[in-house]
Amino acid sequence: MYRKFVLKRIGYGILMYIAMIFIFSALFNSVADETMRSQIDEEVAQEATKLRNLNEDQLKATIESRRASKIRQFHLDEPLPSRIFWRSVRTLTFDYGNSTIIKASNGDRLALSIILEALPRTIVLFTTEVILVTIFGVILGLYAARKPNGLFDRTNSMITMITNGLPAWWLAMIAIMAFSYTIPIFPPGGLHSNPVPTGIAGILDYLWHLALPLLTLVLLGVWGTAYLVRNIVLSNLQEDFVMAARARGIPERKVLFGHTLRTSMPAIMTMAVLGLFGSIAGNIIVEGIFGWPGIGNLYFIAVQQNDVPILMATLSIETLLNMVGFVILDIVYGLLDPRIKVGGKA
Amino acid sequence: MKARDRLQDFGEFWAEFRQEKTGLVGLGILVIFILLGLFGSLIVPFKDADKHWRDIDYWQDNPQAAPPVWTNAFSLKKGVPSSTLTSFKAEEQSQDSGVVIKTFTFDYPFVYDRPPRDLLVRVPGSGQVPLVISLERPDGLSAELYREQVELSEGSPERISIARNCAQSTIEFIRNQDASMANDMNADLINPTSILFAKMDPGMLDDPVALKGDYKIKVEALILSSDFSVGAPSIQVSGHVSGLMGTDASKRDVFTGIVLGIRWALIIGILTSVISVVAGVLLGIIAAYFGGVVDWLLSRLYELVYLLPVLPFLIVISAIYKPSIWSMIILICAFFWTGSFKTVYSMTLQIKEETYIEAARALGSSKWRIVFKHISPILLPYSFASMALSIPAIIVYEASVSLLGLGDSTIVSWGQILESALSQGAMINNLWWWVIPPGLMIALMGMSFAFLGTALDKILHPKLKTR
Repeated sequence: MYRKFVLKRIGYGILMYIAMIFIFSALFNSVADETMRSQIDEEVAQEATKLRNLNEDQLKATIESRRASKIRQFHLDEPLPSRIFWRSVRTLTFDYGNSTIIKASNGDRLALSIILEALPRTIVLFTTEVILVTIFGVILGLYAARKPNGLFDRTNSMITMITNGLPAWWLAMIAIMAFSYTIPIFPPGGLHSNPVPTGIAGILDYLWHLALPLLTLVLLGVWGTAYLVRNIVLSNLQEDFVMAARARGIPERKVLFGHTLRTSMPAIMTMAVLGLFGSIAGNIIVEGIFGWPGIGNLYFIAVQQNDVPILMATLSIETLLNMVGFVILDIVYGLLDPRIKVGGKA
Repeated sequence: MKARDRLQDFGEFWAEFRQEKTGLVGLGILVIFILLGLFGSLIVPFKDADKHWRDIDYWQDNPQAAPPVWTNAFSLKKGVPSSTLTSFKAEEQSQDSGVVIKTFTFDYPFVYDRPPRDLLVRVPGSGQVPLVISLERPDGLSAELYREQVELSEGSPERISIARNCAQSTIEFIRNQDASMANDMNADLINPTSILFAKMDPGMLDDPVALKGDYKIKVEALILSSDFSVGAPSIQVSGHVSGLMGTDASKRDVFTGIVLGIRWALIIGILTSVISVVAGVLLGIIAAYFGGVVDWLLSRLYELVYLLPVLPFLIVISAIYKPSIWSMIILICAFFWTGSFKTVYSMTLQIKEETYIEAARALGSSKWRIVFKHISPILLPYSFASMALSIPAIIVYEASVSLLGLGDSTIVSWGQILESALSQGAMINNLWWWVIPPGLMIALMGMSFAFLGTALDKILHPKLKTR
């Protein structure tokens, strides 16, 4: 039963992903084709410079035939629906083509390798963020739930509402101005110092560069999480088993951390997973501000350089990540709450 | 429902709303924002700045990257605030030959520790007019700064910069006092205003000490024939501090930009949330009430949009198609209708089974009549809260896209002010007055809507639950 549910969710997720890629291909078709054509022209012109022993007519003919064969290879001479279809197929097989300007650190211009170079850095930044946010959020949330409507609880919900409409990248700008230029204790950006230190010093240097983006994200993210944890814990505190535990004379601390937190944990964990995917998609700009060379920074550079293949490739990868996240979440939900499996509807 | 019933409903609602302190605070801030959005262009120092925000000539007379005026209170060396002198004493002297000498005298009380960066004298008029500009200092010395015949034309006043056009005459002024000092001066290197506003002292070239007191600037115009004329001149003092919130690296007044941004933030936030919530509510009701194929299609569409990463998609589509602000609003709506869809969908599934819906159906009401007359009014109150609650995120999305330089370049938005701050090195140069206010405004507006939405949610939601 559960296996069937899991397979169904995964299959459904893949279908959704395919549908999205088709939409992207249709939306960005004309620009992407244009870019591809100019890339082919460039490539053919480069090849032609190597052909020395041909006369002018032969050279022209070779260039023309090379171009035609490449255009055929990428189905650019076909009607619109077919072009959209082939572009989707290429995107779905991770064949994003070459970037127009941006290069990977080893000089590679393959869009996929540029993204695969940036992706781990994004994952490092945001997973650490979510782990820290969850830890501190749970602590603060429990603290707030201990005295609902107390001073701390009210302050917390107030800060939640204020940080709700606060762009993380603006806080990042302020943080850089304050702690990188006015009081220079953190580097203003980048992944590591130049030259890169080795050994223990290298790790410390990496952490030093990670610190300010991480602090900014955690400082902004922790309040909303605390508020959610408080709500989850508070609704669990109304349950009969809590009353029973209190009646047995179990100390309040134990009731809170032992009984209530344990029952709230599944909800908190799913929230953390959801938070992870949400924050990657929503806070990508923070990376650009800090010059943290992840996916978000790639967007910044790709927008400035107008590098269409990179933009579309990052969007596809981002969509895939999002999809994987939701499918995992659904499966975890199903594991925790058997009712969802039976319902079948999302 | 009669008008009186509605009024009574509203009275009840208001009585409840008054209990919510944060809701009142949110409403108060919002009212201020709306007033500023409507009438803000009347209180800003640069009235038609919304048409000229990216026009370099419009801003050329402001100081570059000047801090706000009130920072003077915290600094030891007080800088000159930028201002425009428009009040003058006018005298007219007619000579027998028909020549008229017009004299305009401006009083400028100077109480600061640093000289102004520049004085810009503007003279409107028409025809060939010899002009003489001179400065009378509080120590009794007077300097003739400018003496030339200028060609005045209607529409664009003649603009004379003391810092740029009067270096040689400043040296002549010094020569009259102390010839040896003047010999050390080079017209290309000196800063005329720092000498004109400094105490007469041998060291004034290297280390000028400001001479405080009342200065008089005299503009004399010779009107040679009745065909020529001279209008009211004005003097712009270009200082070190400027306006309530300083100026940016392109000499634009930050305060003006902030006030103009309010209007766009409100338009984007309110319009987008209203359209998307109304669409979400209607689609939710339709999907749940009609069922079948409609339900299936709308639910699949919902999932598709819900699973798309919003910000990356908005960035890519703006980078490729460069949408105007109105297309941007439609685009954001295409994402935000999902916010209320699912809740309304499940609520409608419940309402659908109520007896009064059954009764309406039995009386022969059409499906659309039931949707609009019986179900929508119940779910409408719910949508007010979600409208307000969705606005902060909408404003942040627009600002995020603008921050990447993909905003509509015909408007002034807070995101765009921050974009220019980011790209023109405001962080490295510590131009905090350029970075902090726009973000603070985004946060403040988001906060006011969040406060309002939470209060509305508290009041309007229990009624739905107890139904």
